[in-house]
Order: sequence, then C-alpha cells, then structure tokens
Amino acid sequence: MKSSRIFSSLFVLVATISLLWGDPPTKSPIKLPYVYTKWKQFTTADGLPNDHIFAVEVDGPKVWVGTEDGLACIDKRTGKIQSWKEEDGLPWKVVTGLVVDKRTGDLWLGLFGGGLARFSGGRFDHWHQMNSGLVNDVVYAVAIQGDNVWAATTAGCSRFNTKTGEWTIFTEKNAPMEEIWNYNVHATEEKVHLAVWGSGVLEFDVKTERWKEYLDPDGEMEIDLYRDDGIVHVITTAAEYVDDVLWVSSYFGVCRYDGRHWRGFYEHECGLPSDFNNNLKARSAIEAWFCTDKGLGACMDFETDTWVAYTRNSDGTGKAVVTRGKEVLEVIEGPVNVPQSFIICADIDGDDVWVGTGKGLGWGIGEGYYPGLKERLPAKTSNLRSENSPSRNGRAQ
Amino acid sequence: MINVFWTHPGKMAKPGVERASCTGASAIFRLLLIIPSLLVIVTPALAQQSKHPVYVGAKVCGSCHDGTGMGHQYSLWLLNKHSRAYASLAKPYAREIARLSGIPDPPDQAPMCLGCHATAAEAEPWERDPTFALEDGIQCEKCHGPGSEYSRPEVMSNREAAVKAGLRIPNKEWCANCHFTKGSHVAVHDLPALDIDEALKKIAHPLPEKPTLPAGKSETSESVEPKTGPQYVGALACGSCHKQEALGFQYNVWRLSNHARAYAVLATPKAFELAKQKGLEGEPQKLGECLRCHATGYGEEAPSFSASFSPAEGVGCEACHGPGSEYQHEAVMRDKRMSASAGLKPVSRTTCLRCHEDSHEKPFNYEEARRQIEHPKNRPQAAAQPQYKTPVNAALSPDGKELYVACEASNSVIVVDTATQEKTAEFQVGGQPADVSFSPDGKYAYASNRLDDTVSVIDVASRRAVRTLQVGDEPHGLLTEKTGRYLYVLNTSTDDISVYDTTTFEEIRRLSAGRGPWSLALSPDGNQILVTNMLSRFVPLRQPPVSEVTMIDVERGVVENRLTVPEANLIQGVSWHPSGEFGLVTLNRTKNLVPMTRLVQGWTINNGLGIVWKEGRVDQVLLDEPNMGFPDAADVAFTPDGRYALVTSTTSHRVAVVDVQKLLSIVKSASEKERKEILPNHRGKATEYVIKHISTERSPRGLVIDADGRFAYVCNSLDDSLTVIDLASLEPVKRVDLGGPKEITKVRFGEQTFHDAKITFQRQFSCHSCHPDGHVDGIAYDIEADGIGISPVDNRTLRGINDTAPFKWEGTNPSLSRQCGARLSVFFTRVAPFTPEELAAVDNYICTIPRPPNRYRPLGAPLTPAQRRGKRIFERTMTNDGQIIPEENRCVTCHFPPLYTDRRKHDVGTREKLDRTGTFDTPHLNNIYDSAPYLHNGMAATLEEIWTIYNPYDTHGVTNDMTKDELNDLIEYLKTL
Repeated sequence: MKSSRIFSSLFVLVATISLLWGDPPTKSPIKLPYVYTKWKQFTTADGLPNDHIFAVEVDGPKVWVGTEDGLACIDKRTGKIQSWKEEDGLPWKVVTGLVVDKRTGDLWLGLFGGGLARFSGGRFDHWHQMNSGLVNDVVYAVAIQGDNVWAATTAGCSRFNTKTGEWTIFTEKNAPMEEIWNYNVHATEEKVHLAVWGSGVLEFDVKTERWKEYLDPDGEMEIDLYRDDGIVHVITTAAEYVDDVLWVSSYFGVCRYDGRHWRGFYEHECGLPSDFNNNLKARSAIEAWFCTDKGLGACMDFETDTWVAYTRNSDGTGKAVVTRGKEVLEVIEGPVNVPQSFIICADIDGDDVWVGTGKGLGWGIGEGYYPGLKERLPAKTSNLRSENSPSRNGRAQ
Repeated sequence: MINVFWTHPGKMAKPGVERASCTGASAIFRLLLIIPSLLVIVTPALAQQSKHPVYVGAKVCGSCHDGTGMGHQYSLWLLNKHSRAYASLAKPYAREIARLSGIPDPPDQAPMCLGCHATAAEAEPWERDPTFALEDGIQCEKCHGPGSEYSRPEVMSNREAAVKAGLRIPNKEWCANCHFTKGSHVAVHDLPALDIDEALKKIAHPLPEKPTLPAGKSETSESVEPKTGPQYVGALACGSCHKQEALGFQYNVWRLSNHARAYAVLATPKAFELAKQKGLEGEPQKLGECLRCHATGYGEEAPSFSASFSPAEGVGCEACHGPGSEYQHEAVMRDKRMSASAGLKPVSRTTCLRCHEDSHEKPFNYEEARRQIEHPKNRPQAAAQPQYKTPVNAALSPDGKELYVACEASNSVIVVDTATQEKTAEFQVGGQPADVSFSPDGKYAYASNRLDDTVSVIDVASRRAVRTLQVGDEPHGLLTEKTGRYLYVLNTSTDDISVYDTTTFEEIRRLSAGRGPWSLALSPDGNQILVTNMLSRFVPLRQPPVSEVTMIDVERGVVENRLTVPEANLIQGVSWHPSGEFGLVTLNRTKNLVPMTRLVQGWTINNGLGIVWKEGRVDQVLLDEPNMGFPDAADVAFTPDGRYALVTSTTSHRVAVVDVQKLLSIVKSASEKERKEILPNHRGKATEYVIKHISTERSPRGLVIDADGRFAYVCNSLDDSLTVIDLASLEPVKRVDLGGPKEITKVRFGEQTFHDAKITFQRQFSCHSCHPDGHVDGIAYDIEADGIGISPVDNRTLRGINDTAPFKWEGTNPSLSRQCGARLSVFFTRVAPFTPEELAAVDNYICTIPRPPNRYRPLGAPLTPAQRRGKRIFERTMTNDGQIIPEENRCVTCHFPPLYTDRRKHDVGTREKLDRTGTFDTPHLNNIYDSAPYLHNGMAATLEEIWTIYNPYDTHGVTNDMTKDELNDLIEYLKTL
C-alpha cells in the first residue's frame, strides 16, 4: 500500500513536471513542412567583398552575390569565391539587382547609383543615364523578359531591347504609376510585374503591352480597412508571378492573389516574422519566402497557412518555428541558420535556398526537401514555450 | 479666399494636402473666369503648338495663288523646273547618278533622291493630305513649310499670323540645302554650278502690289457633279500606275513634256498677246477658246470632270486617250477590248492635228513632235555595267570535292571543282555575300549577305538557295558547330552573334560580341569558337585601342571569355592550329595617338598576327619587315600538319608563309616583358618566321587549305580569280578564272587603287586599312596637317559621303579629289600622289560604295510611335515651355534632309583643349547609328552622350529642356535616318 502511494505520487510529480516544462510526448505524426536545418554562411571572412548582401542569383553551379561594395561569385562545387570591385572593372560598387539571362549566360546587374551593367565573358558593359536611354542610375532590380532587360529605378522603369537597342521608359506618363519609385521588377515570358513604392503592383502584359494596376481598394495607407479586398498595402517591395499566382510583399504585410481571391498575411496572425518586408522569392503557387527585418518567413503551404520562420538568436544560434495560423507546431533550435535576421534578398536554387542579409549570405541546403506538407513527427525541441511567449513566431531576440 | 497647393503646373496637390476655403460661389465663378484667361495670356505659343501642320499640295495653294490678281504664281511654278523635279527621276541619268552614289534603290523611291526632288519625302503618309501629290515635285510647301494651318485666306492675309501658323519665308541659304553642287550630278550631266541669284530670278513669283484672289471659274468650267457617262479623272489618276518603271515611267515622261505646261503657258504675256490678237477678252486661262487646246476635255461637248481633275494639268493623258473614269481600273486596262469599249481612244495623227494644225501659225512636224512626246512602256535599257565577281571568302565542302566561293559584287556563290580546279557552277544568293560555310554533313551551305542582312540557306544538291534567314545587321562570318545543329552568324554592325537552330531555323539566342565581329573558327575538338572583332572597344579619349577576341563555349552556347588584345584593331581572320592549343588571328596595330608624321619603321600602322592561346593569353607579333609592310592581313589558315600558317595581305597582293614552329619558339623563349612590349612592335622579327611570300593576283582576301594539305585556295577579290598554291612547293600553280569581265571600268580601277598599299611608303597601309568595307575603323587620329598633337579627329565612314562636301571635320577639303589628292600624299601616304587617272577612279569608287539599308526603317516602312515622336522633336521649333527656338539652333536647319547636312561649318560648342578651332563641318546623319563614336574627335561614345554630356549650353540644338524619354525618342528617330 505504502509503495503504491509512493509510486503514484512519483507519477503525478513526473507528469506535472512534464506538463510545466516540456511538450507532452507526441503520440502520432502530423502534417508538417520541410524545415531547413542544414545551413552554411558566407561573410567577408570567407571572401565576400562585403557583408551587406543586396542581391543573390543562382545560375547552375554559380551563385552571384551583389553587395554594397562589390560583386561576388561562389562556385558551389569548390566553394571558391571570386569577387570584383570597381578596380576590377565593376562599373559601380553597390550591386542591388542581379539576374542571369539563361539563354546567353550573361549576368545583368542593377547598380544603385550606377545604372545597369552586363557581365559577359569577363567583360563589364555599362549603361547609365548619360550614355543610354536608362531613365535613372539608381537601379533597384533587374529582370529579363525575352530580348528585353527591365530595370526598376527610382524614377520609373526602363526596358532595354538588347536586339534593337531601343530604350523605353515607363513612368506616370504611360503607365498607371501613382508614384515612380520602382522597387522591384519580376518578369516571365507573359507578364512583367513592378513593385512600386506607393503604387502597389503594376502588371504589364507582354502581348498586349497594356498595364494593369493593383492598388489597395480601400485607399487607406494607415490601415487595411477591409481584409483581402486587394493588395495589403501600396508600398510594395516585391511582386512575383509564379504558377499563375501573384505573391506580393510590402512594408505592411504580404499577400497572395490567385486571379480571383486575395489573401493577406500579417505577423500577428501567422508565421510571418514581421510585417516589414524587404523582398520575396516565390517557389510555387503554394510556397513563397519573405525577407523581413526580423527574420526569414517562408509560407511553406498556403492551403493550410503553414509557415516556417527562420531567425538568428542573439547567442548566435538559430531557430526555426513552424506555425499553422497562430498555432505553433514545431520549434527547432540549433546552429545558426540565417547569418542575421535582417533579411534583404533570397533566391531558390532547386531544393536549396540562398538568403542575403545585412551580415552575410546564408545557404540553406535542402537535403530531402519536399514541397507542401508531409506527415512526420515534430522535431524534439529543447524549450518549447507557450503560445504567448515572446519567442512565438521565431522573432529575433 | 481660396488656398490651393500646386505640386507642378497643371496638377493639383494630392487629396489630404490640398486645402481650399471658399467665401462663396462668386469666388469660384471668378476663379473659373480667371484661370483660362491666364492660360491664354501666359502661354500663347502653346495654343499654336496644338496642331501638327500637314502638307496640302500645290493645287490647294494654286486654288488662290493663280490668276492675274495673284501674279499667276501657281502657273509660274508649273512652268519652272521645280514642278518637274520628281518627273526628272525617270530620266536615265537619274539611275546613273544613283548608281554612282551607291544608292541601291530606284531613284523615284530612294529617300536620298526624293529628298531634293520631291516635297515631304521625309513625311509620313498621315502628314500628307489627300490633295497632296508627291509627283508634283518641288512644290510651294517645300520652301514655305506644310500649309494646312496657314493656307486659309483669313490666315494668309495676315503675314504674322501665317508665320505663326507655319509659313516659312526662305532665303537663298535655304535653296543651297538642295542646290549645293553635288559631285554625283556633275559627274553625269556636267551642268554648270548653279548661280543661286540667277536661279531665284527664274523662279520668282511675286505678288502684285494689290493682290486679289481669283473670282469665279472659267466660262466653260463644268460642275463636278457626277453625270452619266465617262468623266475626266486627271493625269495623276493615270499616273498612279503609269509612273512605274515597269510601264516606262509614262506619267513622268508626260510631266516633262510641254503638254504638261500647256495650261500654265496661258499665264504668260505671250498668251495674253495672242489672245488679244484673236480678239479674245479676258484671261486666257479662263477662255474656252484657249482651253480647248491648252487643257484637257474643254474641246469636248459637255465634258464631265471628276473632283480629282484640274485644268491646270494642261494637255493630260485624257486629252488624247479620252475621259478615263471607266477604263482607268487595272482590270479594265489590261484588256484591250474592254478598255476600248470603256472609252480608251486610239491616238492617231488626227488626234494631234486637232490642235496643232495651223496653231498660232506655228509649223508642226507631226513625226518630230511624236518622237518628243512618245512614252512607250518598254524603254531602251541602259547598257549594263560589267558585273564583277569580287570573291571574298571560300569554303571547302566536307568531302573536299567542291569549293564554294562567296562573290560580293555578283551576289552569287561560285562552285569550283577541286579535282579540275575549274569553275563549274554559279548561283544567286542575297546582296553582297561575305562568307560561306557548309553543314558538317555537306547537305547545306550557308552564305551571309551583308547588304540584305540575311543568310541564304543553300541546298547543295540542287545548288540553290532554298531559304532566307533574317539576321542582324551586316552579317559577315558564319559557321555551324560540329553537329550542324547550331548556326552561328556574326552581325558585324550590331556587335552580336545570332545562334540559329538549323532544325527550325529559329534564332534561339543572341550573344554579345565585341565591336564589329568579323570572322570565326571552330576549334578542332569542336568545343570552342573564336570570334574576331574588327573594331576596338570604346576607350577614353587619347587612349590606345583595345580589341577583343571572343571565345564561345559551344556546349553551353555562351560566351565564356573575352580576350583583350591591347593596341590592336582590325582583327579579322582567324584559324585554329590543328593541335587545338592556340589559334592565330590577323590584326593591325594602329598608332593613332602619335601624329602621323612619318611612316618609316611602322610609325603609323603595323600589321601582324595574334597568337590566341587556349588558356586565354594573347601574344602579338608582326608580319611587317623593316623596309616593307605586310598590310591588311585578312585571313589565315593552317596546313593540316600545323607546320605552316598562310596569311593573305589584301593590299600587297601576296600570301605570307609562316613557319609555326619557329614562331612559337621565338614567343615561348621571350621574357614576359619581351612578349608584352617588344615582340608586338618588332619589325625585325618577321624574317625569322616568315619563310616565304607568295605572289597572288589582286587583293587576296579569304583562303582555305584542303584537308590533304595539298593546295591552298586564295580568293583574289579584285581579280575575279582564285590562286591555287601548291603547298609542297609553296608556289602558285594555277589561276582559276571565276568568269568576271575583262574590262576594267573606272570604278573597278578605283576599287583596286583603294585596296592597294603601293600608294604608301613601304606599303605600310592602304585606304582600306582605315576604311574597311568602305566604312570606318572607329578610332581617332592626329593628322599632322593641323599641327602635331592638335585637333585629333574621329575617322569617318565613306559610305554615303557622295555629295556631302566639304570633307574633313574642319571642312577644309571642298571635294573628294582634294581630299584624296596631293594633301593625302603629303600627310598620309608619303609617296607620290595619285595620278589624275587614279585619283578620278578612286573618287568614283568611293562615291559608289553601297549605302547599306537602314535597319531601323526599311524602305517604305512606317515610323514606330517612338520614332514618330522623335521626328517631331527633331523638327520642333519651340521648347517645351513655348519659347521659340532660333532657326539656327534647330536640328533640321543644319541637318537638312535628305543628306541631313547643310554642308556648312558650325560651332556647336564641342571644342576641346587640343582643338585649334571649334567650327566643324556638319556631318551627314545617314545610318548614323552605325558610325560610333561621335563628334569631331570621337569623344561621344553614344548618340545620347552628344547631348547628355557635350551640350551643356544648348549650343548643339536645344535639348536641355527635354525629358529623358524625349531624348530617347529623338535617338530612335535619328537611328532611322
């Protein structure tokens, strides 16, 4: 009798401790997204010309990196980094946009204050306001559409036809630009999307050469008055059209448009680390990565609102938090993932992801990557906290 | 009170910023009244700018500007040569002038000819009203400007208002824009120079002191209301078909005849006198008795005229052939019976005698008169010019049995049987084929046509071109990679490389080359292609040239490397050594930064080879010897064993045989400094590795060596032959005649002289060295004549320079013969000058260098919206804020069509420190997109820089008020000229 009471007391004690300090043991697998747990980081210590990574573009075995002071190329096979600064022929040190023309292998660079450049076979060619029809030298981003190179600049968008040499400028004169400060451009063979500060997203139909604008229908800059009525905010930073879906990032949340329905996402209700988004990279209609000022937020499965947020902890470790809506499903603490939580750019390279931050470049190696969700057991965590804990959604400490 | 915040003119501040308070409706009402008034007061000129004037045609002007009260102005115009200017393009000598000017289009269609022989030739169709006819030649609006806005009487009666509406009052300087002496015209019809003052007297058409508009119509004028039965439609309606060359330019022939002036002549004092003698009162142009013979249809009973008819046409087609409304349609005209039954009358002696018999007591010789006006459909053709071949490049079929030779002058490919070494066939391809290449299986061959911007796909079995690919501008070299799947075509003028999938013949990518990609060669393993680029990269002012050899990774189909070749230019020929370890390219080393004070020891241009190592390094060596140059090395080929390399020298008519082993050992044993600095400039080294020179015929260009290493075939471009070299003996063993004419015309002789380095000391260079393909080498020179180190000048193209005298940037040479005459020998060639015969021939040849078609606006193509906007900017007379641009600072004043030069000197504010003057000859703008860099010393690398950097004070046109997109539009238009 006495032993059974002791045993029962011990059992209750253990159970109580478990309840207080850790997850209750999970009994069955649940549908979870792929989480990148294997990362490499690159900084100036590894040979990058600068740690402020403004652009990253992967082209086969080469990873092109645009920084505040130079261009770099990482050979994934060897790990060697080659870099170019102005003394090496780079026309301007601040490289804010990169895109590779897959047909020719040429790398096009957007230069912040230096115009547009092409790097081909080791030669830099340079176009700027004075020697070409480029509208402005402050170029944020570049994109390739057929024979055309599009450059998003602070004073409109320029389109350069590489065959005819014709420059076309798009501003409020010939496009529905409420403002002309173009932050980003993304192109497919059919459409070109501009993310314009204060002018939402502009969509250019390549065939008809007509523009369509996406603005916030409620017209309120300070609040999103009506949910999912349109774009979440007109101060947009990126727009990408993938698999017939438009993903948009802004300084005040992100959203997705499938041609009929809009869906907005905010940090307070999903896995987005912050509403302040610098950029985005979309992989598919259901998966997109958002570069926020407080971490990297990946919507891994739109259908179920499943996100993974990657942040760097102040102690130099990394954290990945998996959420579905407001519910935290999994928290994985481990070695550092993104070099810094201020995420500036990203690129998707097959199963891998590359992330540019304010303190270096991160390479998420997608061993065993799978799209969407898969039933698995959540990873064992060391310090799972409740829903209301400060570390919910993986926000940087 | 209203407070309104304006962000910029015409646009209100954004909602949320603007604040307005209003004391009442009356305030708003006052504001609504004030604002429009302010706009009218402040911007009067803007109101004038709202309509773009269009051309209305001389007939519209003539509806008022004729008759005694208006000084018979329209009739005076009809009587003078201006009205026949378009028609004169039908004369045989017009075609000859066009040929001599290198204009490939028919004169009555060529913008270059129409620019001075017609009105509104540069205008778009929408800028010409339906009442306008190009066939009226130099009409009122050519000199007075498009008239749609000023031609109304209420405007014209107020000179100031008319000028504001676009009326221009030209002076004799304006006339000189077309009437400057043109060498091309002088060469053919040898007329004396025009005395402008005398000419102005001839065309003078003053208004009477008190002009009065013509009132009413002639006594027999008929209503234009349609009646039953045939109507007179007017000669212009006939001319819409009958002005074509295929129909013998019949309309033009009539227009040049006295019949076309029959009505106008009634305005002369003589006509008035004759009328008076006959007892007729009133103006002869209104008298039926006179019009019966001096106009069309007025002698008929109850004639009926359509709206398109005008009596001012005089004795038109229908005066003899009957009213044409029923038979004028092509479907009817083509059938003799139908046209006759529709009213087309046969013409006989009676037709003429109706008017000409006993006419004003003038004798009439029917036979003689008939000869004067006859207008047969088939005109005697001018004697055909000798058709040379000009073989420039060749390729051996994969089985080695045939040699295909690209012949530039005959637009053909000639087939030579290698066994017999005789010509066996010839077939047509496109314009000016520059190169030819076979597919690896030998089933197809490809010829690049640099005048047409096309590639001909040739079916070898049937020996004919079966498909034509549109490629980039001025294609030169081409080849397929070893599978034959992909065809690489070098677009020399667009600095890129088209890659075609030969299964679909679709262009799959376009790679960026260097400047002026010229030739290419596939490595023995098929993995790389080397591409030579003829022009140096753009370099800062007073920096030596830097050229490029482009290396393509064939497997990936991308440019993998760009090898720089310092201080070199005109890199043309290329070949891989059989080992695949390196290739050779031909090159010049032009010392353009030092003044051309002497030629000895290669002071100006050296000639040699570049050794392009597989790893990317480039060494340079010379083929010149201390006392003899090896000028204009054009092509290179290795013997299959790699022992020798043969190199052609186009302008010293020989082939150099290079011992490859000796060459490599010299290079490899040299120190780094020697390789970089000594060997590229050492004229003493060539004798160590050039073991022989083999004489060929005139101007050898391309060469090929057969796979057996037995023979080399050299294309003697200006001899229309091949030289066959036996590689065992290194001797020429045969001349293969390709069938060109034996006669050497003046132009051909000039071409040969142009491509001959004998005109320079120690045969260092030729005209071709700086003007390959009659074009330009893209670098600036310091010519001694104006002082050492003074006034470096950009080299200019020779294409289209005919009739653009004076020459040289400072405009010091009034003619080509002066340009190429004694001064050339003093300051350039340093030997005896051309003989008079040579000089005349060279000048002749230069004038005939074909002008490539403008790729931005093919003949007859409409302007794109951007080009159209740019044209308006080019022709604008006001700034964006409504200020009048002084006439002397408008683009179109100095760049007057069709040559787009007024051939005068102007100071456009581009003088630099080294220049002795800031006044320069206005360059022509034809195909200006193709002759970068720009300005007198080449300091502007692009057209944009002319205004973004080098026009800070609006001295080179007013451009600083333009927005960036306006400048882009202007550039787009300039590219169409």
